[in-house]
Amino acid sequence: MNSSLQQVTSQEYKYGFVTDIESDSAPPGLSEDTIRFISAKKGEPDWLLAFRLKAYRHWLTMKEPAWANVHYEKPDFQKIVYYSAPKQKTPKYQSMAEVDPELIRTFEKLGVPLNEQKALAGVAVDVVFDSVSVTTTYKEKLSEVGIIFGSFSDAVREHPELVKKYLGSVVPFSDNFYAALNSAVFTDGSFCFIPKGVTCPMDLSTYFRINNKESGQFERTLIVAEEGASVNYLEGCTAPQFDTNQLHAAVVELVALDDASIKYSTVQNWYAGDKNGVGGIFNFVTKRGLCKGRNSKISWTQVETGSAITWKYPGCLLVGENSIGEFYSVALTNHQQQADTGTKMIHIGKNTKSTIISKGISAGNSSNSYRGLVKVMPKAEGARNFSQCDSMLIGAKCSANTFPYIEVQNKSAKVEHEATTSKIGEEQLFYFQQRGIPAEDAISMIINGFCKDVFRELPMEFAVEATKLLSLKLEGSVG
Amino acid sequence: MATLTECNLLPELLVAPRPAAWEPVRKAAETALEGQELPTTKHEDWKYTDLKSLRETHFVPGQYRKVDIKERILPEARGTRLVFVNGHFDPPCSNISALPSGVRMLRLASASEAAGALGSLATPEGSDVFTNLNTARFTDGAYIFVPKNIHVEPVLHVLFVSDQEGAQPTCSLPRLLVVLERGATLNLVEEYWGHGCTLTNSVTEVLVREGAELVHERIQRESPEAFHFSSLRARLDRDARYISRTISLGARFSRQAPHIVLADEGTELTLDGLALLGENQLADTHSFIDHTKPHGTSRQLHKAIVDGKARAVFNGRIFVRPGAQQTDAQQQSRNLLLSEEAQVDTKPELEIFADDVKCAHGAAVGQLDPEELFYLQSRGLNLSTAQNLLTYGFAADLLARIPVASLRRQLRQAVMARTNAQDLASMA
Repeated sequence: MNSSLQQVTSQEYKYGFVTDIESDSAPPGLSEDTIRFISAKKGEPDWLLAFRLKAYRHWLTMKEPAWANVHYEKPDFQKIVYYSAPKQKTPKYQSMAEVDPELIRTFEKLGVPLNEQKALAGVAVDVVFDSVSVTTTYKEKLSEVGIIFGSFSDAVREHPELVKKYLGSVVPFSDNFYAALNSAVFTDGSFCFIPKGVTCPMDLSTYFRINNKESGQFERTLIVAEEGASVNYLEGCTAPQFDTNQLHAAVVELVALDDASIKYSTVQNWYAGDKNGVGGIFNFVTKRGLCKGRNSKISWTQVETGSAITWKYPGCLLVGENSIGEFYSVALTNHQQQADTGTKMIHIGKNTKSTIISKGISAGNSSNSYRGLVKVMPKAEGARNFSQCDSMLIGAKCSANTFPYIEVQNKSAKVEHEATTSKIGEEQLFYFQQRGIPAEDAISMIINGFCKDVFRELPMEFAVEATKLLSLKLEGSVG
Repeated sequence: MATLTECNLLPELLVAPRPAAWEPVRKAAETALEGQELPTTKHEDWKYTDLKSLRETHFVPGQYRKVDIKERILPEARGTRLVFVNGHFDPPCSNISALPSGVRMLRLASASEAAGALGSLATPEGSDVFTNLNTARFTDGAYIFVPKNIHVEPVLHVLFVSDQEGAQPTCSLPRLLVVLERGATLNLVEEYWGHGCTLTNSVTEVLVREGAELVHERIQRESPEAFHFSSLRARLDRDARYISRTISLGARFSRQAPHIVLADEGTELTLDGLALLGENQLADTHSFIDHTKPHGTSRQLHKAIVDGKARAVFNGRIFVRPGAQQTDAQQQSRNLLLSEEAQVDTKPELEIFADDVKCAHGAAVGQLDPEELFYLQSRGLNLSTAQNLLTYGFAADLLARIPVASLRRQLRQAVMARTNAQDLASMA
């Protein structure tokens, strides 16, 4: 390892600070009582409690999956705090002045444009802070066009019929081990409903932040786009530094009806543990979109740079005729990070199309795996898939793996998969350097070029953040 | 989950006589078998391949019987041929009169010098249940040894015939051991052929020593009712070159499991495969290419033509170990679907632990290109002729690489017959 790589290795987590707010927490441990506590605390209707309990009972029968190419100490589910909410000083905030100033400072450090003036920057933010939605901006403006955007808890209270209709319709509680756990204990999340024919006038965004030591975060996101609706949704994550592993098992469900389109972008930069692999977030996420209607489209874009362990496969069920699924991903691992990520494209309807572009960068001692499934069902006449998975290795101790599963049961389908692995060429570097560009900048430019196909799918502000993030994380890795 | 004894996979063969020198490895395999079970589709490696029909069939060990191998004779290997029927050596059909001096080609049971190398690649601890079953219970097989710097002129041909006698399905455990000493070169044809409901569970071990070169054709033309399991274990020493081509035409159910270790620097591997499937056939290829040292090159091309209700499975794993810098590995899985009910499951895998490497893989599943069909039709070919020509063409490039002319011709004809392209024979 050269000196510049060591420099990167020693880089401290930039967003590692802890806000001191008294928590209103459940005691650690998981039982039916914990679930009843969460449900009661949130004042949920009976059907939701029944859903949670059903999921919990099913979860008890399931085994933790072991097929992913990641190695970690299994979390002790009885040590996790399943509910913690920032203590509220009044039942509900009336204005910004009432919000805990400690909290506001946290948001300021994170750069969340919380107040009205900042919100004018153009992003409506539903801030999830340790599982309870504190405030929502731009809600009114959105509700003028009929868009419902807010915390999951509010949606359960205000629009129970919608939540009931779509909750678990894409990711059933029995889907997998962590989805079942999430269904049982999820505390909050975001809900978004775009009615028929409405194009959302602004990008919607949520910041997730894990703040209470020992608190696993179980978020639930549900986005529904009705006929002809369209929305851009951004999710960004940073978390403070901790020494115990934190479990994050979120579930994201997207539903697109006829001619609807949903674009879901993520920049994930959770704490990845120190250079010896101590601490860091376990990120076991189930994300799935259902292209239910004709000509619907769901597009996933993700930039994954954080977490000790990532286990995440945003997928699309392409049910509607002519529906389109897309997956653009950059996954960067360094130090002891392990990522097993990819997508699932299930072609069910006629003339469905999917595109997969995945770029993996591994450095240090990390392991970076792409695992994807492209499945063409017998009735998916004319289905079309193109997949490209490129890996880049930086240093001799990391690994890059590709596991694409291709299952085709229709002869008119056309499925293509390509994957390459390479490193930053010395000749490329030399070319930059002889033009007077320092190696550091050259690497940054090469990496950005490598990821360009994905970055250009990101909304502007995210693209800027992602570019910065990669440069920061890889500064001087090769020389 | 069924255990081995429940599946009746030949406990009788345990008592058959064998050379005492095989005992250590045979016993080790028998011990390894105790902890092993027939896999189910819950095993990741058998996800797409259900052994239900195998489990339900009762096999008895095949006996020697007289067979007519006239159509299998290769003129290039007239005097360099070994034939085994149901696992038993067949002296009348074998002919090694043209074997160059110094080159050894004989039955394993009489090759005392071979015992040490047996099971050195297909080690009992590192093998699956089928390979261990073979190691534990095989009774005979072929041994080929080429001494240092000998270039073997004639093609060597080893033919394993599976022939069902009577009503009871029969089973055989063919074994082949090939050793090429430093700088030796050889063209080898390993062929499986048969009639009736048979189970062939073969293990081939190949050692290519420093600077040696082996061109190895592996032809599977079992009967349409047969089960065929074939494990190929090869090791390439420094600067060795190995070209292995597997052509699968027969068997209702077949599984090819090549496992090649590029054990030293500067090795070169070509691993090609073609599966031609129709009706309810299933062909599964699970390959593993292990790059352990720097400057290794591997090229893998696997093609499948799938018609009827057939199913093609491909799982190609390329592993680049830490330190295997300058590895250049390329893998392609190409699949042609010809019918509504045909199915392809393909999974090319790359696992890379070295940074200065060039690795690429690709997989494609598709049908005949409408534009190509249109082009041929515009030249006056009718639709079905155009389809047959293109289907044949899909397989032809792999067949064209076979250096043994008579075998190439035979296989071309077989592929044409299967793709209804006989009328194109004049063009080919």
